[in-house]
Amino acid sequence: MKVQNLLENTKQQMRKGILELCILSIISDEGEAYPSDIITRLQESELIVAQGTMYPLLARLKGAGLLDYTWKESDAGPPRKYYALTEIGNQFLDGLMATWGQLVEAVTHSTKNLKANK
Amino acid sequence: MNKISNINLGGFPFTIDEDAYEALDKYLKTIHQHFRNSEGYEEITTDIETRMAELFQEKLEGRPIVTLPDVKNVIAIMGTPEDFGAAEPFAEEIPRSSSGKFKIKTGKRLFRDPEHEAIAGVCSGIAAYFGIQDPLWVRLAFILFALTGGFALVVYIVLWAVVPKADSASDRLAMRGEPANVENISKIIEEELEHVSKRVSELGEELKSEFASKKKLSQRPLAKPKKAGTTRTPSGILSVRPLPKGFMF
Repeated sequence: MKVQNLLENTKQQMRKGILELCILSIISDEGEAYPSDIITRLQESELIVAQGTMYPLLARLKGAGLLDYTWKESDAGPPRKYYALTEIGNQFLDGLMATWGQLVEAVTHSTKNLKANK
Repeated sequence: MNKISNINLGGFPFTIDEDAYEALDKYLKTIHQHFRNSEGYEEITTDIETRMAELFQEKLEGRPIVTLPDVKNVIAIMGTPEDFGAAEPFAEEIPRSSSGKFKIKTGKRLFRDPEHEAIAGVCSGIAAYFGIQDPLWVRLAFILFALTGGFALVVYIVLWAVVPKADSASDRLAMRGEPANVENISKIIEEELEHVSKRVSELGEELKSEFASKKKLSQRPLAKPKKAGTTRTPSGILSVRPLPKGFMF
């Protein structure tokens, strides 16, 4: 039981760290992204459990000047917010991707013996 | 049979059952409370409401009325404010531990406490803010302060005017520095019910004693030290009170 709890906690921490990278990547990929579509894509990769999690994150990224949004008319219901990366956001994402590359390497390097032994 | 209401959630109109409405209202209040001091408060909460509206539309699939299971379902999908905190890399971790073993209380706000008020709840609000068990001590401090020049009166009146009253359950949680989650809110509601029944019996006793000493009643200014007198040290309080001319409020 204890292992389960510890694992859950660490898993959450790990997800937390990369959620930002993934959201920015998805937005960059789509050009302009509607939050609900971002959620759908995050769910495909099982990165998000509680959907509400994303909104404070978006607000913070926007507050930091990495994202901006425009309003667009919608067929069903009120106008929708579409998020896009700003210039700073693009630079930030590049930096983040570089760090991610290093991390993947570091993790592969550190765990390779573990895999070999098993 | 169930009563229904019409609501506007994130720009979408919904017809919703009474019990479902209450659950939704409680949840949204918790969300608002949680993000109250966050950057982009307005935006986060409207976005969440819009998302919930979309989810309801998906779930309803043409059914006319939002029911309690729909609301529970959507709340489960959105997650609780505690879940949101888990995804904030820069969020402080302190509040999570403080709600458990440690008694460090963070994120408090000063409110007037209408549940334990003698005059306007200023003193009991301050007591709650600093974690003082019995607001009597704060009241005594105010009285002593008033004795030494009457400055406390001005302070009290200013606080009365400036400090908001803790009207909702989530306000009361913020007043005590407890996180506003669904569990705590239901706790508050239980406390309120208990408080009401206690207050009723207290009132009965107070009335009895008031009638018993009509003479004192005429001397008494207003409610201020009354409650303190009935709960703790009646004679002590009375002896501190030859000055009630100052306490005309």
